[in-house]
Amino acid sequence: MGIEIIKIIMLMAAVTYGARVLPFLLFRNKKIDGFLKSFIQLIPVALLATLVIPELILSSNNDLTLYNPFLLTGILTFIFAKILPNLFLSVLFGMIVFWGFAKII
Amino acid sequence: MNTKGFLYGLRQSMTIGVGYAPVALTFGILSLKSGLTVWESGFMSLFVFAGASQFIAIQLIGQGATIWVIGITTLIVNIRHILMSFSMIRFFSGISLGKLVLLAQGITDESFVLNSKLLEEIPTSEERSKVALGVNLGSFSFWVVFTFIGAWLGNKINIIFSGFDFALLALFIVLTISAVNRDNLLTYLIAGLFAVFFRMLIPGKAYLLLSVILASALGAWVGQRKRAN
Repeated sequence: MGIEIIKIIMLMAAVTYGARVLPFLLFRNKKIDGFLKSFIQLIPVALLATLVIPELILSSNNDLTLYNPFLLTGILTFIFAKILPNLFLSVLFGMIVFWGFAKII
Repeated sequence: MNTKGFLYGLRQSMTIGVGYAPVALTFGILSLKSGLTVWESGFMSLFVFAGASQFIAIQLIGQGATIWVIGITTLIVNIRHILMSFSMIRFFSGISLGKLVLLAQGITDESFVLNSKLLEEIPTSEERSKVALGVNLGSFSFWVVFTFIGAWLGNKINIIFSGFDFALLALFIVLTISAVNRDNLLTYLIAGLFAVFFRMLIPGKAYLLLSVILASALGAWVGQRKRAN
């Protein structure tokens, strides 16, 4: 293995693991209240929205598009999961529908 | 009472695994094209375990970027993990440092979102830490193993089933249904708007961190005001 690549991997690991472990080290067993508590409880939904919404309506060139396989499949997957709340089946459904739309559109 | 533990978490991680496997395979294949060896490729997944930054890194390595450029780029892309582990602390009061340090390596967008849903329904810290370990270790194993497989197979295979492109997105959409309620709908919508806006405005992945911080802060502020009145 190249020394340079190993150095790169170690630096990447340090930076990434640092971001993962720092809050655990700083806030372990500390009571979090008030604004900060609401803030951290809202992070999961905020992250969900930022991961999903742009993918559904922006193309890879960041153009706004509504007629695309991602948005159409997204809507159908949402409806499917509403009716049948099963994580695995819904993901499978999304994959198959997307495959179909990607062929047509 | 039925207790949920490590194996339950491991089973739940399969959904993430289905999404990770093709992405990790692709990473393995592409990393060889950038000049990495099979072991270097696998070790990057083992030690870094953060998909987007790994794809960017092999592209930069291929272009001959310096280690510092790669390091800073990785920091920008992955700094959002601070928010995720910060948000997860509330599940693990009283859990030993040794366990937390282990759990930390498994935090990704996907494991975080899944854990946030699963752990909400589990009563004790001890159980929560076991379930989270299962979810994280399961996801981690899929990522590392399929990177190695991809790198070993190299250019010998082609992934033709485009459905894999939607797997992780489908997972997020399904999790949205149980995560979003009347109290946090506003935050969800603001975050989505910010994300679209910032992604069109700022190149790279900075839009993720920015939208999550702004939307959560705004949502928390509105919530506090409502309670005060």
